[in-house]
Amino acid sequence: MPDRAAAAPAGTFRARRFGRLNLEVRQSIGRVKHAAFIAFGLGVGLAISVAILLASGVEAANIFDEFVVLTFFDRLGLSSVLIECSPLILVGLSAAVAFRVNFWNIGIEGQFFWGAIGATVIAIFDVGPPATRIGLMLVFAIVGGFLWIAPPAIFKIRLGVNEVISTLLLNYVAYQFVLNQIYGAWQDPRDRFPHSEAFDAAERLPLLGWEKVHLGLVISLVAVVFVWWLMQRSRFGVYMRFVGANPHMALAAGIPVAMTIFLAVGLSGALSGAAGFVMGAAQEHRLTGTMAAGYGFSGIMIAFLARNNPMAVLIVAFMIGGLYAAGQSVKVFYSLPQALVSLIQAIVVMCVAASDFLVRYRVHWLRGDGR
Amino acid sequence: MTVALEMSDVSKEFDGVRALDEAWFRAEYGRVHALLGENGAGKSSLMNVVCGLYAPDRGSIAVDGSPVRIDGPAHARALGIGMVHQHFKLVRPFTVAENVAMANRLGGRWTDELARVAETVERYCGELGFELDPQARIDSISVAERQRVEIVKVLMSGTRILILDEPTAVLTDDEADRLLAVVRGLAGRGTAVVLITHKLREVRHFADRVTIMRAGRTVADEDPKTLDDERMTELMVGSAPRSAVAARSGGGRVRLAIEELAAARDDGVAALAGVSLAVGEGEIYGVAGVGGNGQTELAEVLMGVRSALGGRVALDGEDRTSAHPGERRRGGLGTIPADRYLYGLTADLSVAENFGLTGLAAGRYGTWWVAAGRMRGDTEAAIDAFEIQCNGPASRSRLLSGGNAQKLVLARELSGGGGILVAHSPTRGLDVRACAAVQNQLLEARGRGAAVLLISEDLDEVLDLSDRIGVLNRGRIVGEFERPANRHEVGRLMVGHA
Repeated sequence: MPDRAAAAPAGTFRARRFGRLNLEVRQSIGRVKHAAFIAFGLGVGLAISVAILLASGVEAANIFDEFVVLTFFDRLGLSSVLIECSPLILVGLSAAVAFRVNFWNIGIEGQFFWGAIGATVIAIFDVGPPATRIGLMLVFAIVGGFLWIAPPAIFKIRLGVNEVISTLLLNYVAYQFVLNQIYGAWQDPRDRFPHSEAFDAAERLPLLGWEKVHLGLVISLVAVVFVWWLMQRSRFGVYMRFVGANPHMALAAGIPVAMTIFLAVGLSGALSGAAGFVMGAAQEHRLTGTMAAGYGFSGIMIAFLARNNPMAVLIVAFMIGGLYAAGQSVKVFYSLPQALVSLIQAIVVMCVAASDFLVRYRVHWLRGDGR
Repeated sequence: MTVALEMSDVSKEFDGVRALDEAWFRAEYGRVHALLGENGAGKSSLMNVVCGLYAPDRGSIAVDGSPVRIDGPAHARALGIGMVHQHFKLVRPFTVAENVAMANRLGGRWTDELARVAETVERYCGELGFELDPQARIDSISVAERQRVEIVKVLMSGTRILILDEPTAVLTDDEADRLLAVVRGLAGRGTAVVLITHKLREVRHFADRVTIMRAGRTVADEDPKTLDDERMTELMVGSAPRSAVAARSGGGRVRLAIEELAAARDDGVAALAGVSLAVGEGEIYGVAGVGGNGQTELAEVLMGVRSALGGRVALDGEDRTSAHPGERRRGGLGTIPADRYLYGLTADLSVAENFGLTGLAAGRYGTWWVAAGRMRGDTEAAIDAFEIQCNGPASRSRLLSGGNAQKLVLARELSGGGGILVAHSPTRGLDVRACAAVQNQLLEARGRGAAVLLISEDLDEVLDLSDRIGVLNRGRIVGEFERPANRHEVGRLMVGHA
């Protein structure tokens, strides 16, 4: 008999008391309350972060300046946030799409690399006329990301192979392949550094004419709208919800479960590949061994904080981008270690995650003698 | 007789819904107390208060005559209160002895402890008169055996007030009778037993006293001998509904044909060994049988979630033996699965989504842009038509009671209009009123010309509703009967060694 994972958790912990503090599982929760609890978690996380920054010597007055004014309300600051968040949006969407159908794509970095490889191949071998070059790079990046996730998807659907392991390990395969190429055949002939040769002007994403913000931002926003439509408005989105929440019921109801998983997971790989393209064609302007570092984790984190909601991915990615950008300047001006930026990020994420407890349980004081 | 448990004026609200409304209850040592009521009447909530899972908003509890404030499950256990829940809390890959040992530590070296626990389990089994292999793994034993593990587990921790939450819901008639005999034996040795149930038969045969609840209130506390069935039903539901079954409109062309169908259980053991039957237009074909004779596998193969190892399934003459469930549905099939929250509904999604899903898959609500408003409207219409009690189409289906969840499944499956329906235990776990509503819907569907295959372990239901009956025994149809079927003969084939 299949597991009743989706059934009501009737046998589980329902209520517990600590003195007069009583915990009970909620039957349901309103939207406003839900949002309020998440905001509360975020507030606690930010408060702890501020305390840490104060303890490491940043002046109280400067914290607000650095993290809010100079990041979001300053031309240069805001532009670097927008640049930071373009690939973050794409990997966030990638994770959200896969997680929605319960496919734990841990291989975002591998697909990211293959997206970058796809774009690089077109760029360094000068495939096609220069006018269509950049478009072809995007197409190849998407195909590269898709191809890198297709085998784990098929193995999962057909044979039940655990995708956490397969996608995770394929990250290393992709990484080693990139190293093999940039130390070998694709090494930059000009400076002999381990990266590919720089892309030509036609192989770079054009700037939008506002500081250094590039077309990658537009690509990310188009992806947000597309994924929002797909997940929230199309029939396929309803299929995804059911397949993720109860695949047994979805199958019995006549939904093409395997195809739904395959297409959603394929889209996840394609989005990661597109992120690799944006990184390569707009920021690094070449294939490097470090370009994907951290994006797998960031994507998972963004999708988690956004509860797999594409519009929320946009907001969360923007804020995480802000945190990165502010972290960079704080690092430089106060000579704080990179680890501190990661620490703040981790604390904020954990506090928001912990707010889930209040969403799941009702906490209240017992009045009188409690009977 | 001494009073074991006394509860008075207990009230409990959940998010504004009053689950218990000044309910009261009394149990004495050495007796079996039935706690009777519809689904959602507050029976389980009241007992969850006793065993420390819920803190009551108001009211008092006295155990052995002295008032107590139960602080949690551990405290309840210390007071000698033990409850066997509907959903067992056993760890699957571990053995019976290991599961029992986990709840009742005897101390000493782990291996010695396990051996002593195993001995104790066997001693209890001997006293209670049932069989249980302490070395068997939980996932290898039947539901009835798992229940016995739970009972032994609870008794070993010194329980003197034993609460059983609808223990027979998961059992066959035979197993249920055996369990209830054990329960009587326990009461004979001084335990106070509380039997939560909604089956009148169990109350009549096994209980010394019955407490009836309705809508969170205690409405009666009587000796069952002083109440007849009519009166008990009336106390439970307010009035006594029952549908009179009209005669069949006449069987038409065959819509669902099954030939020599074979299938296996998950562990590879053969479950269906050549089932053949045919269901015609405007007919209910009932599959009777003791649970575990292939009913689940038959339903699953027909739904398309389990593959057939041989034979043929045809819908309107088209072979659909290995078709995807979606293709079957396009071929006119609707299904009412026994396990509502496994194959019937997705608990975390809304009533509207659960209702609209099959229509959506059939292309009724658009492909590129889902007509959410129309889906909501259709759901509202279905909520009215099928009298589903819920907080509107947007509420999560997890919040539906058993009966309303089943009505939702039924509403969806009948709205497809394909006219071929496979219903597996459609009234399992439902209260009298919901049960009657579901059965009426099946009859109405038949009246509209649907071909209904009713697979049920409830013989009364099969006899009441079916135009023809096939008896499923060890994976085969061993006999067929026309209405009116002789109950005795059907029963004989069900239990006979075919």
